[in-house]
Amino acid sequence: MNLDNPVIHTVLVFVGITIAFLAIMLLVAFTVLAERRVLGFIQGRLGPNRVGYGGILQPFADFIKTMMKEDLVPDQSTRFVFFLAPTVAIITAIMTIIVYPFGPVVNLPFLGSTPLRIAEFDVALLYVLGITSVGVYGIALAGWSSNNKYSLMGGLRSSAQLISYEIALGLALVGVVLMSGTLNIYKIVQQQSGWFGLNWNIFYQPVGFIVYLIAAIAETNRVPFDLPEAETELVAGFHTEYSSIKFLLFFNAEYLNMITVSMLATSLFLGGWNGPGVSVFPLLGLVYFTAKILFFIFLYIWLRGTLPRFRFDQLMNFGWKFLMPLALLNIFLTATVEAYWSDIRGLFR
Amino acid sequence: MLITFFFILFAGLAIGCAVALVAQRNPLYSAISLIGVFLSLSSLYLMLSAPFIAAVQVIVYAGAIMVLVVFVIMLLNVTAERRRRQRLAFLAPLAALLAAILIGEVIFILNAVSVNPPVVSSEVGLTTSIGVGLFTKYLLPFEITSILLLMALVGAMTLARRTPILAAVGRLSADASSDMPEAEVKE
Repeated sequence: MNLDNPVIHTVLVFVGITIAFLAIMLLVAFTVLAERRVLGFIQGRLGPNRVGYGGILQPFADFIKTMMKEDLVPDQSTRFVFFLAPTVAIITAIMTIIVYPFGPVVNLPFLGSTPLRIAEFDVALLYVLGITSVGVYGIALAGWSSNNKYSLMGGLRSSAQLISYEIALGLALVGVVLMSGTLNIYKIVQQQSGWFGLNWNIFYQPVGFIVYLIAAIAETNRVPFDLPEAETELVAGFHTEYSSIKFLLFFNAEYLNMITVSMLATSLFLGGWNGPGVSVFPLLGLVYFTAKILFFIFLYIWLRGTLPRFRFDQLMNFGWKFLMPLALLNIFLTATVEAYWSDIRGLFR
Repeated sequence: MLITFFFILFAGLAIGCAVALVAQRNPLYSAISLIGVFLSLSSLYLMLSAPFIAAVQVIVYAGAIMVLVVFVIMLLNVTAERRRRQRLAFLAPLAALLAAILIGEVIFILNAVSVNPPVVSSEVGLTTSIGVGLFTKYLLPFEITSILLLMALVGAMTLARRTPILAAVGRLSADASSDMPEAEVKE
């Protein structure tokens, strides 16, 4: 089949978006379950294991239960913004999944050789950063429109945290961009296919990876950076006043952000779908990609079960005075090595 | 065909959001409308095969500057603007006249001048070509702009400090044992 035909191409893109959407929503559902079960394991208890085999239907039961709740709107709230905020949060969370390549070019029945990606374009990385930066509004507007001081505090904390850590996050990615010379995520993944699929950027950019990982955890408002919803201080933070489906949207957006951030880390630092044997069995790439994402999700849950929460001034100091200078230093070193690589190799000859 | 549809869609969105920005009484609604304007403009840039500009438009304007504006509105709790007695009412007919003249000029230009749009290759808007251009042909303007931004940064920090910087430095060097500046104690 001719993939260059615009109609077929458009249909395929829509099919790809639908499949990716469904897969990621299922992944979100099971991440919630996995979080409760793994946290239970860490804390020496069982966790939900009654609905379905080993609790496998628990997320769907919770979903139906939450949907049935009354949809409350606070009396003095700014109605339009109150409705707008969860929409913005979920849309910006899900919009970034289109740029990540899920696998290499594979032979599919009826389609012939198909690359397992939805979109490939020149500024993919900037697109991700741009969408992420728009995502701040979801939380900030939710906090403001609820007309509740705890929500407002949560929203303000969260906006400040997101703005601060976005800088470290973006700067940490610059090292990879300097090395690969492109912002196109598909090309960046392709470049890491050497060494039997183990030529990953993390071996060249360990500092960048660590800075990115910490900043990403802060960006997704997870432990130990979950101050926006510190339940002992702020009830539930920015989504205190949200119930029913609007709460579900925020809840899903948080887990979607976790997954997309893991996808970016996988694609830029851990070689995306690359791994031993992918060149022989291309479908193995899909397995590697999923496995790497699952590793990051486990890391998130593990951290939540292990670490205590930061204080707000510690958070800000850490972001501005430690992570950002470290990322800048990483850029400086990478640029120097990139520029003088041939000279440096000559020294050791 | 599809391009025309999307152009009308996003151009209409941009104009609609811009009108809403001016017409709204609530400052936060105005800010949200402005974000809408920026996002529609970025879509228009994308259709003009300038993906880099489109992405930077979203990151810088919608993502950074407007976040600060929304932040300030939320922190200061700015209330909705009240309708005041119009003091400069005589300006309204003048504004209408000027707008009519402007629209007339635009129509005249569109009718009188026929321009064949230059054929621009789609390579121009790519990140690589912009980067190469910035660091070779337009290096001096680029550096001057960055120095301008640096000056604005330093100016903002100077204005934000309560005590003059030179005095603070002098006091710190005179009394090195005290690590807390006086300004913070006063607050």
